[in-house]
Amino acid sequence: MTDHSRDVAVVAVSQTPAYEAFAGPEPVLIMRCVNDLLSRTGLERHDIDFTLAGSCDYLSGAPFAFVSNIDGVGAWPPVYESHVEMDGAWALFEAWIRLQLGDIDVALVIGSGRSSPGNNREIFSLQGDPYLAAPLGLDPASLAGIQARSLLDAKIATEADFAAVVERSWKAAADNPNAMVRRSDTADQLLDQPYYAAPLRAHDVAPVADGAAALLLVAGDRARELCERPAWIQGIEHRIESHHPGYRDLTDSPSTRSAAEKVGGSGTFDVAELMITHSHEEIIVRHALGLGDDTVVNPSGGPLGGHPVMATGLVRVIEVASRIADGSAQRGLAHASSGACLQQNLICVLQGDD
Amino acid sequence: MGLLAYRRMLPDVDLLLEYPYTRTTGPVLGQFLTGLRDGQLLGIRNGDEVLCPPLEYDPTTAQALDPLLVEVATEGTVQSWSWVTDPTSTHPFDHPFAFALVLLDGTDHAMAHAVDAGSIDEMSTGMRVAIQFHEERTGSITDFHFVPLDRAHAVDIVEGAEPVTTIVQLISLNYHEPLHAHRARFAQGLLDGRFIGQRSPASGKVYVPGRGYDPLERVEMGEDDELTVTDRGTVTSFTVITPVDYYGQKETKPYIRASILLDGSDSPLISVDIRNLEEEDIRVGLRLQAIWRPEGERDLTGIDNRSVPLEGVIERWDPTGEPDADANKLREFTQ
Repeated sequence: MTDHSRDVAVVAVSQTPAYEAFAGPEPVLIMRCVNDLLSRTGLERHDIDFTLAGSCDYLSGAPFAFVSNIDGVGAWPPVYESHVEMDGAWALFEAWIRLQLGDIDVALVIGSGRSSPGNNREIFSLQGDPYLAAPLGLDPASLAGIQARSLLDAKIATEADFAAVVERSWKAAADNPNAMVRRSDTADQLLDQPYYAAPLRAHDVAPVADGAAALLLVAGDRARELCERPAWIQGIEHRIESHHPGYRDLTDSPSTRSAAEKVGGSGTFDVAELMITHSHEEIIVRHALGLGDDTVVNPSGGPLGGHPVMATGLVRVIEVASRIADGSAQRGLAHASSGACLQQNLICVLQGDD
Repeated sequence: MGLLAYRRMLPDVDLLLEYPYTRTTGPVLGQFLTGLRDGQLLGIRNGDEVLCPPLEYDPTTAQALDPLLVEVATEGTVQSWSWVTDPTSTHPFDHPFAFALVLLDGTDHAMAHAVDAGSIDEMSTGMRVAIQFHEERTGSITDFHFVPLDRAHAVDIVEGAEPVTTIVQLISLNYHEPLHAHRARFAQGLLDGRFIGQRSPASGKVYVPGRGYDPLERVEMGEDDELTVTDRGTVTSFTVITPVDYYGQKETKPYIRASILLDGSDSPLISVDIRNLEEEDIRVGLRLQAIWRPEGERDLTGIDNRSVPLEGVIERWDPTGEPDADANKLREFTQ
C-alpha cells in the first residue's frame, strides 16, 4: 500500500547471529535484540505502544512457545501485543497497518525461531494442503527442486546459474558478522557436490539457523527525534498465489510482481535484500522485480548465508534499513517470502531523507 | 561443574510431538477420496477444463463448481520433478524417489505426487507415468503413487461401503536437543534432592525453576545467580482435572494439579502433580513438604527445556501440619 496518511520509519534495528544451534531459550534471543534496541534509542519498555512478533511453535515443538517469547520483551506491566504465526516481516506489515490508525507512534517488531531441535523438512511439509499434499510429506525443498527444474527445462537458467548465486551469496556473507556460513567455494566446486533435492544440491538450500531479529517502527516526527537517518517505509504489501503448485507458473512470481507494483517497487534501488531460501529463487524474484545491474542484491549474503527461520524475512528489512541509516543507500527494497516455491511474497520499499 | 560435565550425566531431550487431526472432507474431496479408496481417479469439470485433484471452486474466479465428479485417466506426463535422495520419516518411501508434477491425460492442471522410479536415471521431464493403486486403501491421497508407465500392475479392487467423509492426519514430529545449561543444573539438583532457583540480579526475585533469565527485568541469569531453595511451601492455587478421552491420554480418574510457592521463592512451581491428597484435603494456603523418592530411584523422564514434571523425583507432597498461610497474601501467585 502506498496511499497512507502517516509516514512511518524504521529507526533502530537489531539481530542476533544466525546460530547453528543456540544453547538457550528463544526468549533470550529476543531479549538480546530488545535490550539492544532500547539502549540504542534511549527508550524505556513503557515507551513502546505496540509489540508484534512472528514465530512458529512447531519449530521447537513447544505449544504456546509464542507466549513464552513475550518474556523476552518484558511482559509486566502487561503489554499491548499481537502475534503472527509467520515470519517477522508479516509482523512488520501488521505493525505498519496499526500505526496508520494514528493513535500510537511506536511499535516493536520481532521475528524469532529455534529450529535446531526439529527437522525443518518434515515440519514445513505440514504447510501444504492437508488433504492432498501434507499426507505425502511433500516438503518445501522437494517443491523447490520441482521449481528449479522448471527453470532448467524452460531454458531460463542452468545449474551453473544456481551455483553462481550461492558463490556470490557466500562471498557476501563472509563480511556479515551475523551470517552462519563461512565458506568460499567456487561455483565449479559447488557443481561437483551431490544432489540433495535434484536438481538442487545441499548448498542451494538456505541453511536453517536459530536466531532473532527486531526493529522499532516509529511514526512521523517521533521517528526523526529518535534517529538521525530514519528508513521511511514508502510502501509495504504482500500477495499470495495458489497453494496447489500445479495451478501456478513456477518459472515466474506474479505475486512478487503485483506486490511490488502496489508499492512503487519499480525504478532504481541502491540495494535489494531478497529472501532467497533456494538459490534458483533469486533468478525468479530478480526477474519479477525487474532489478537491473545497478542494484546490489543481498549484500548481506542473504538467507543462503544463514536462515534464522521466522526472522529471515524481517532481517531483509533490517539489512536495507541499516544501509539507509548509515548513508550507504538512499532507496532500497526488501523482499520476504512464505510457503513453498515463493507462494506468498511481501515487498517493502524503504527510503532515506534526501 | 561445567556444562559439558552435566551434559555427560544428563540425557538429551527427545520429544515426540504427536496428535491426530480429523478433518471433514466436504462434498468434492469426499468423492475424490472415496474414488481413490475404490480404485478410481476422479476430477471435476470447470467449463472446458477438468481439474484433478478436484477443487470446490474455479481457481481464477472462485466460483463454486458443480460437485459432479468425472472419471479421469490414470496415465499422465511428468511436467517437472525433483529427486529425494534421503527420504525423511514423513515421506511415502524409505528409499530414494521423485516428487513430480504429473499432468493426467485429459486434465488441465498438474497434480503433485510421488513417483517410485527406482533411480534418478529413470526420471525425465515429459516421461509417461501411471497410477499404481495400493493393496490397502483408506480414502487418502496416499492410496496410490505413480510409476513409470510400463511398471503399473493391476490390483484387486473391492469397493468400500460408506463414502469417505473425514480424514485423519497423524502429526508426528521428533525433536532432539540438549538441556539448556540452567535446566541441566536444575535437573541435577533434583537428582540430588534439592530445588535450585535463580535470583534476579536486577530485582532480587527468586525464580524456581530458573528460566535462564528474569522475564520482568529482561536480564539473563546464570550459575552465579543460583541458590538452593527449601523443599517446603504453600499451595497458591489448585485445580481438579477430570480426564477426557484424547489421543495419548493416560489418566482415568480425576487428579489434582497445584501451584506451590516454595519458601524463599517468588514464583510458584506450577502444575505440580498431587496424588496423595483428596480434593477436600487441599486448599489455598495449605503448607506442604516435598517427600523425595530415594536417591537412585529419581527419574528425570519428561523434564525438558519447557516442562519440569516432578513426579519422577518427588513421591508425594505431605501437609506439614503448620497453620495455613494467609490466602489473601497469595493472590499474586494464583496461577
